[in-house]
Amino acid sequence: MNEDLYNELVAQFNAEGGEILMFTVDRMLYGIEIHYITEIIGIQPITIIPKVPSFIKGVINIRGKVVPVINVRARFGIPEVPYDDRTCIIVVELGEIVVGLIVDRVREVITVKPNEICSTPGNQNKSNQFIRSIIESNDEIKLLLDVRKLVME
Amino acid sequence: MASFEAGMEGMVEVFIYESTTLLEQLEQILMRTESNNSFDDEDINEIFRIMHTIKGSSAMMGLSNMSALAHSMEDMFFIIREEKPYIISIQNLYDLVFTASDLLKAEVEMIQEDNYTPTDFSEHIGKIKAFVAILKDGSVTEPEQTAASSEDNSVTEPIADDSDMIAVRVFFDDDCEMENLRSLLLIKKIKEDCLKLEYEPSDIETNADSIKTIIDNGFLIKFKPINDEKYILKTIEDSVGVKSYEVIEHNNNNAENAEALPGFIDLESNTESYTGLTDAESSESADEPLQAKTDTTEQTKPITNDSSENLELPKSAEQINNLLAKSQGSKGKQNLITVNLNKLDQLLDMVGEIVITEAMVTSSADLKGLKLDNFNKSARQLRKLTDELQDIVMSIRMVPLSGVFNKMTRVVRDMKVKLNKDVNLVFEGEETEVDKGVIDNLNDPLMHMVRNSMDHGIEDDPQERIKLGKPEKGTVTLSAYNASGEVIIVVADDGAGINTKKVLEKAKRNGLLTKPESEYTDKEIFNMIMLPGFSTNEEVTEFSGRGVGMDVVRQNIEKIGGSVSVESKQGVGTSFIIKIPLSLAIVGGIEISVGPSIFTIPINSVKESFKLNQKQLIRDMSGKEMVMIRGKCYPLIRLYEFYDLTPKSTDVFDGMVILVEGGGKQACLLADELIGEQQVVVKPFSPLLNRYNVKQNGMAGCTILGDGSITIILDINNIIQEQ
Repeated sequence: MNEDLYNELVAQFNAEGGEILMFTVDRMLYGIEIHYITEIIGIQPITIIPKVPSFIKGVINIRGKVVPVINVRARFGIPEVPYDDRTCIIVVELGEIVVGLIVDRVREVITVKPNEICSTPGNQNKSNQFIRSIIESNDEIKLLLDVRKLVME
Repeated sequence: MASFEAGMEGMVEVFIYESTTLLEQLEQILMRTESNNSFDDEDINEIFRIMHTIKGSSAMMGLSNMSALAHSMEDMFFIIREEKPYIISIQNLYDLVFTASDLLKAEVEMIQEDNYTPTDFSEHIGKIKAFVAILKDGSVTEPEQTAASSEDNSVTEPIADDSDMIAVRVFFDDDCEMENLRSLLLIKKIKEDCLKLEYEPSDIETNADSIKTIIDNGFLIKFKPINDEKYILKTIEDSVGVKSYEVIEHNNNNAENAEALPGFIDLESNTESYTGLTDAESSESADEPLQAKTDTTEQTKPITNDSSENLELPKSAEQINNLLAKSQGSKGKQNLITVNLNKLDQLLDMVGEIVITEAMVTSSADLKGLKLDNFNKSARQLRKLTDELQDIVMSIRMVPLSGVFNKMTRVVRDMKVKLNKDVNLVFEGEETEVDKGVIDNLNDPLMHMVRNSMDHGIEDDPQERIKLGKPEKGTVTLSAYNASGEVIIVVADDGAGINTKKVLEKAKRNGLLTKPESEYTDKEIFNMIMLPGFSTNEEVTEFSGRGVGMDVVRQNIEKIGGSVSVESKQGVGTSFIIKIPLSLAIVGGIEISVGPSIFTIPINSVKESFKLNQKQLIRDMSGKEMVMIRGKCYPLIRLYEFYDLTPKSTDVFDGMVILVEGGGKQACLLADELIGEQQVVVKPFSPLLNRYNVKQNGMAGCTILGDGSITIILDINNIIQEQ
């Protein structure tokens, strides 16, 4: 997915709101717009690919498709924990790139209204560089992830 | 594609596909006809039709610029078709059509981009219009002497009144001798009783060789009798030496000629034999109803650019081949359908899945220890069927290389003009088939190589060639053949060869040397020209010499799993040898395990595998390990070290050693275990992984095994180079 199209989608989301899938990583609540998500599956046997960055855990077989998986903890620089039966792989599709995101657990899908979206945090350090905006609804703070940045950069 | 209205996207795709195909057809016609400098009516019609379609469809898409250009071309060919003007410079015509074709092609490509703005073609349209104006002026009757066109006006009208022309083919007695004189006498005899008379060969008086023609094909007389034809026929019959004669209905000419190859020749000669009436009839021709003219075009009447003096029957083999190729082409068309490549890809994926699933079912763990005779029988049958299915699907995707090769004729044509070098392009084995996915990636590399051969390979000065005893005209040969599961394509020139000294100097200047100059072998030096940023040509030309070409070639070929090597001999020539896998999709592989990972080595690269014994292992001074097999030393690559994995055992003697070959070099790989051999379906890596140079680290792709697990396919070439 090229940058222009992605930015267009972001602008549309900011203007109209939309549905996001909530999940937790290291007890923090994160969200991804559901239109990037194709499915959510449990943890699978992962084939290691040597000589790639450590956050790329390898590839999995999803119905005959070979899909690379990214451990979101490792991507954020948070210590990894062993996978358990709540560990999920969220499969997202960004244009031609299909990738699985390993997260601690998946929560629910919520609808976000435009007025609940707060602007991007100003100072970008390593731990929050993937956060696109902050969503405040039902007195809870949720962090909306910048999927493109998470996967592509 | 933003400039199109909503709902048009689907049509844009069809439009692009259609236009590209048509333009390719156009180019083929042009290339074919240009090589023998002649258009026949069918070609003109075809070009006319192509332009007409493009005009229509681009107008429908709202692409008025393309439509206008196509329209002007259509007009031009309409005039050529209908008025048969005298074409003064056929080269100009070709240039115009080629340029127009290029412009349209470029435009079609641009449409596929996001921010498309229509190009202004008015300049070229202006040129075409100017040419058309010249054509119109020149459409006055011309004497027969020179060109294509001149026959045009003669071709039109004889057809109109040939209904009352009678054609007779006369054969003389076998040993009567002096057939030409006898023919002449015969003509003189019947001349008085004919309104009009033509005969073929028409040069019986002057050309002694015509005897042979008459013996072989008979003497063809066409006449329009004043009174009764029977009288004339009687005269013919009674002449001395006449063995037999046959009356040929002119309209049946085609059918009659179709019996043998010389049919073409006869047609050709018919055209010639009309020449006599040109002047008398030309005024009539203008008044002929259109109907008559369309009839003409339906018959295959080649308009040749050859001088008509050259009446000899044997036409160049090339032309006959052309004709044959054309008829085969049109025959083939009816049996073809066009399929979206994506669908074929899907089909192949599906078959890959079936192959894997079949293995999963038949080797299921649940079946272990059970005695299942019927099941095994059915399973074998299933296995056989899936194998066949796989073969068929693979064969569907196979495309002959001739398409890519033919595109090179165009490259050579352009280069010829620009570089002012005359070069023969020769094809060998262009019927060799390769997977469609491979073909698409061959175009650019081949183009670079052909350009390179023409620009750098062939000597600039023909005198140099003559001095070396080579023909003045250089030759670039494109050949292809199958060899052990690979397709080998060779681009060879008979030029100056690579000057190793020059290459070394240049490499030194560019800082590309990694060891002392004297240690480089010729082969290593040749391969230097494919390093990034290397170019030996003194001047940068439009075509090559920017030092990116050969580097890009290598990258592109490697992308599709192939390799390039160079062979050269000073003064004799240079060959680029491309090896590519027959298919990217399914390969035979050997599975090996290294610690937790399973790798697949393509079976083509595997020489042998064995357990090592003490005596075979050698260490050199720097601690590098070598394996000695039958008196030869090979470097040992421990895969677990190469990929930073934890193996079962680090002891060389516990593991399995596999001797592999890639890129002309050999090495031994150390793995934990050999698991087995299997046909595997190659899945390319996700673009996400490609960004981390997995390919450069010796991983060609991955594959899914019968139990659903994924293995990585190793790229032996890369591993050997990297270590």
